[in-house]
Amino acid sequence: MNNQGKNQMSSIRGPRGMMKGPVVKPKNAKKTLYRIWSYMGKRKPPLAAAIILVIVTSLLNLLGPYLIGVIIDEHIIPKDISGTIRMSLILAGIYITTSLLTWLQTYLMVNVSFTTIGMLRQDLFAKLQTLSLRFFDKRAHGELMSRVTNDIDNLNNALSQSVIQALSSILSLVGITIAMFSLNWILAIITLIVIPLMVIIVRQILKRSSENFVKRQKDLGELNGFVEEAISGGEVVTLFSKEKDFLTVFNERNEQLRSSATKAETFSGFLGPVTNFINNLGLALVIGAGAFMAVQGSVTVGMIASFVNYSRQFSRPISQMANLVNTILSAIAGAERVFAIMDEQPDVTNKPNALSVTKFAGDVAFENVSFGYNDEKMILKDVTLTAKKGEMVALVGPTGSGKTTIINLLTRFYDISNGDIKIDGRSISDYNIHDLRNRIGIVLQDTYLFSGTIADNIRFGRLDASDEEVKSAAKMANAHSFIKHLPQQYNTVISAGGGNLSEGQKQLLSIARAMLSDCDILILDEATSNIDTKTEIDIQRGMSNLLKGKTSFVIAHRLKTIENADQILVLKDGQIIEEGNHRELLEKQGFYHKLYTQQFTI
Amino acid sequence: MNTIKSLYPYLKPYKWLALFAPLLMVIEVLADLLQPTIMQHIIDYGIANNNQTYVITRSILMLMLALIGLAAGIVCAILSTKAAVNFSTDIRKSLFEKIENLSNSNRDKLGTGHLITVMTNDVTSVQNALNMTLKVLVRGPLLFAGSIVIVLLTARSLFPIIVVVVPILFLCIWFVITKAGKLFKKVQQSVDRVNTKVQENLSGMRVVKAYVRESYEINQFKEANSSLTRANMSAVQLISLLMPVILFVVNIGMVATLWLGGLQVEAGKIEAGVILAFINYLTIILNGLMSSSMVLMQITRAFPSAERIDSVLKTKIDIPPANSAAQINRLKGDLSFQNVTYSYSKNGENVLKDISFTARHGETIGIIGSTGSGKSTLAKLISRLYDPDGGEIFVDGKNLTDYDVKELRSSIGFIPQKATLFTGTIDMNIRMGKDHASSSEIEDAADFACATEFIEKLPERYEYPLTRGATNLSGGQKQRLSIARAFVRKPAILVIDDATSALDAVSEAQVLKHLKEEFADATVIIIASKISSLLHADHIIVMDEGKIAEQGTHEELLRYRSLYYDIYLAQGGKEVLPSE
Repeated sequence: MNNQGKNQMSSIRGPRGMMKGPVVKPKNAKKTLYRIWSYMGKRKPPLAAAIILVIVTSLLNLLGPYLIGVIIDEHIIPKDISGTIRMSLILAGIYITTSLLTWLQTYLMVNVSFTTIGMLRQDLFAKLQTLSLRFFDKRAHGELMSRVTNDIDNLNNALSQSVIQALSSILSLVGITIAMFSLNWILAIITLIVIPLMVIIVRQILKRSSENFVKRQKDLGELNGFVEEAISGGEVVTLFSKEKDFLTVFNERNEQLRSSATKAETFSGFLGPVTNFINNLGLALVIGAGAFMAVQGSVTVGMIASFVNYSRQFSRPISQMANLVNTILSAIAGAERVFAIMDEQPDVTNKPNALSVTKFAGDVAFENVSFGYNDEKMILKDVTLTAKKGEMVALVGPTGSGKTTIINLLTRFYDISNGDIKIDGRSISDYNIHDLRNRIGIVLQDTYLFSGTIADNIRFGRLDASDEEVKSAAKMANAHSFIKHLPQQYNTVISAGGGNLSEGQKQLLSIARAMLSDCDILILDEATSNIDTKTEIDIQRGMSNLLKGKTSFVIAHRLKTIENADQILVLKDGQIIEEGNHRELLEKQGFYHKLYTQQFTI
Repeated sequence: MNTIKSLYPYLKPYKWLALFAPLLMVIEVLADLLQPTIMQHIIDYGIANNNQTYVITRSILMLMLALIGLAAGIVCAILSTKAAVNFSTDIRKSLFEKIENLSNSNRDKLGTGHLITVMTNDVTSVQNALNMTLKVLVRGPLLFAGSIVIVLLTARSLFPIIVVVVPILFLCIWFVITKAGKLFKKVQQSVDRVNTKVQENLSGMRVVKAYVRESYEINQFKEANSSLTRANMSAVQLISLLMPVILFVVNIGMVATLWLGGLQVEAGKIEAGVILAFINYLTIILNGLMSSSMVLMQITRAFPSAERIDSVLKTKIDIPPANSAAQINRLKGDLSFQNVTYSYSKNGENVLKDISFTARHGETIGIIGSTGSGKSTLAKLISRLYDPDGGEIFVDGKNLTDYDVKELRSSIGFIPQKATLFTGTIDMNIRMGKDHASSSEIEDAADFACATEFIEKLPERYEYPLTRGATNLSGGQKQRLSIARAFVRKPAILVIDDATSALDAVSEAQVLKHLKEEFADATVIIIASKISSLLHADHIIVMDEGKIAEQGTHEELLRYRSLYYDIYLAQGGKEVLPSE
């Protein structure tokens, strides 16, 4: 009885993780397998060694039951003590070797798969960093997250366990069949009779339960979605006294889940007793037939012992096979999706001889720029503007008029389809992208903060900034006053997205971050929309020092903040409809005048 | 253990199921356990005595036992699944009922994220644990104990092998499982770190690109990634050590059985069949031991879940939920605050300090002040989302706490800062404000909220289905629907908590105009950050750090040349006093 160790793991009964809904089949398994193989690179020799070890241990596993039979027949029953002891020692030696080799084999395999997977994850992350925003616009974050987490984990499981298990299962099946037939072909056939039965029944159960699991998964998903919505919208539910109504809907869905969950889990619960029964059936057949033949003298007691052990070894690989194949298939499908990302071409790239720059004078020009995020709708139509070195340019206009898009294009988050954008007289596509962005400081509309300390987040603007510089940037941005009240001040840890800070505080931090960065062109995109008016004025005072000598682009909802701009560009539906300074525009009595007066009268 | 006791009532309706399932499991296990003994008898009596009838009858007995085991096992699976699914469904139901009835401050304290996790993950994990307990946790120890008893009865002379092997197995499993638990905790932490890194790089992609921090982030990720790889490897390596070691111990036990058994057969004390049966029992013992310890590990993970469920169920609700049976009277809407104080933390700083003001029906009260000055909190007290810590609030001269909350809330139209909408049609969302609103009432409300212009452009108009979180609408559109939802109930008191921020100036002006015209009788409390939204309020309250700093009409406040005046100037007001 050699392999029963692994038997234990699989004989744990209950709702196991095997029902994950339908299996997604890979599109081109061969190509993907080849890529995984080439990914293993230097780890091929240990992998080969592991595979050889699997073959050796599978063979050794066959020897055990055979020897037990021999010992009983030739030494114990004839009462040959010294022979029993000698053979027992040999058997012990075989067992020790098997254990050692099994350990070595998993050790190697775990090492190979985890290092491979680690590299794959690293490469995938690095690849994501090179892709342009257009790529991310098209895909949900959740979907990309699941590439980096689920798909890679599945591949890991398949590599570190399933492949080896499948291999050793196949080897033991073949080996045991050969061993049984060479011992006694009649008993071998009797042992094998239950196999087709097992395959058919297990497959039927898996089919039924996975059908029901799909339904249960759907019901559970819907229920959880509803719960999430009801709980996060709890305040509104309370305000409108809708508690009872929500409860009614919930109960309906909960009952649906009750029935689909019962069906799905009952079916999968059958798997345990049924495979157990088939094992017992096989055992009874082998013993009954074996004993019958033994009475007639054609079979020995030891041979029965060997067959009993073989039949026990047989059931595990069979009942696991379906599951292993599914795991491996979905791992390959996952790998396919991972490689699909690896193959993506970033659409914003450096030109072959991209110019590297360490400083811009700061002359910016848009020449007849047209742009749309997709082909259907143009966001900017024939926009032309010039900002001279040191000027402050304000962009105003209703939501959706294309203000933020202008910023996105200047930083080459997207490349334009028509026209040209120039800095210091050269097209921005001539510059090295990283140099270009390095010289442009930007406070974005979305003030994303990273998990880490407050200081880390400000220092994101310039990595080598000293603590003093961080602090003075925070002071200029008016962030110091709230930071000093935090429990650990600058070392206070914030969660990803800055969850525990208010919108206004997040904006102050992202302003501080921008103030720290050393740049020639500064962009403020609705940087102060969540900050109250008084603080905003204080920040502007601090910022005026920073803006000195730099070209700046400011987008603001509150027109008061941009009255002093050198140029105000009024955008509507992707076009510049008015331009000039505050006074000129007011005199014009046009759209700007309308916007300006509206914000102050009803 | 207390937690188990408190969740027991949910199992009670299914206690017969939960009792019969393990009993049936006992039958299945017994059927399994008897197999090797019968086999031994076949070999030692049947074959040794050349007794064909004995062999045949005993083989049939084995088959019968297998069938009985199958039947018992299947029924056990049905019963235990039924018990576990019903148990968890009922818990889920009670939990949700409880959660729906929680007050806002209950919810704040527990955290919405926490509540969602309890409802989704914790309930499932308790269900799995019960299912496991009813099936595996009975099976494992039974197999284990049963085998030992049988061996003790039939092969006493080989029993010493068990005495040596079982404790060693125990130690190995215990050692690895406790050690692995710690290692896997580390793995989980590393996984969290890697996931956070990925998540925040996806969400903060523009920031990373704007600051050219790609290689910096790649390096940060490398650290997290390699620590995950290391943690994973050491945990998995330890686990994979367990298998060969256990195999080794059991196999050596088998060799010892052959050796010792051989000696005893030679001495004529036992038959060869006993050795064979003993080897089989050794396997079963190992099976039982392994499965019960693995399952036990999973079950212990469910304990914290049960505790979390219990603590939600035990939460004391501090503001009673709406009782639909209440008789609903039409309120006039006279509102007054008297020396109201409120603090979220109950020991920290007061968010509202000594607030007193009166609003008569038909009046519009504007509230302005910087972020954190307590404006929203004040609004929430009116709807009893929170109860004041000090002072009193009256509507129509009656203390808020004397009303049935449903009666009170149905007279208030509240437009929160965040426009929360629900999956369903536009009609359904507006109808939340008034159950049996006619379609013309719905359309009027949408019209007053300036929502008609975009609704009419939609293909399904009022039947347009909103996705979760209304992601298929823009911020301004969401706000308009949220306003319409409050308008449709024609409330006696209308509370507008900075709810027009995403509207363009023209639409906002329209909405405010409708407000004046269509809700002339209502008490309107309007919170805003822009003075322009408050120009026509009858009375303006300026809040600063939880206190009322100044109040009066627009003109009066300008004359004070204080806080309000500063805001006025900052927002572009001219440096002259408006004509009086």
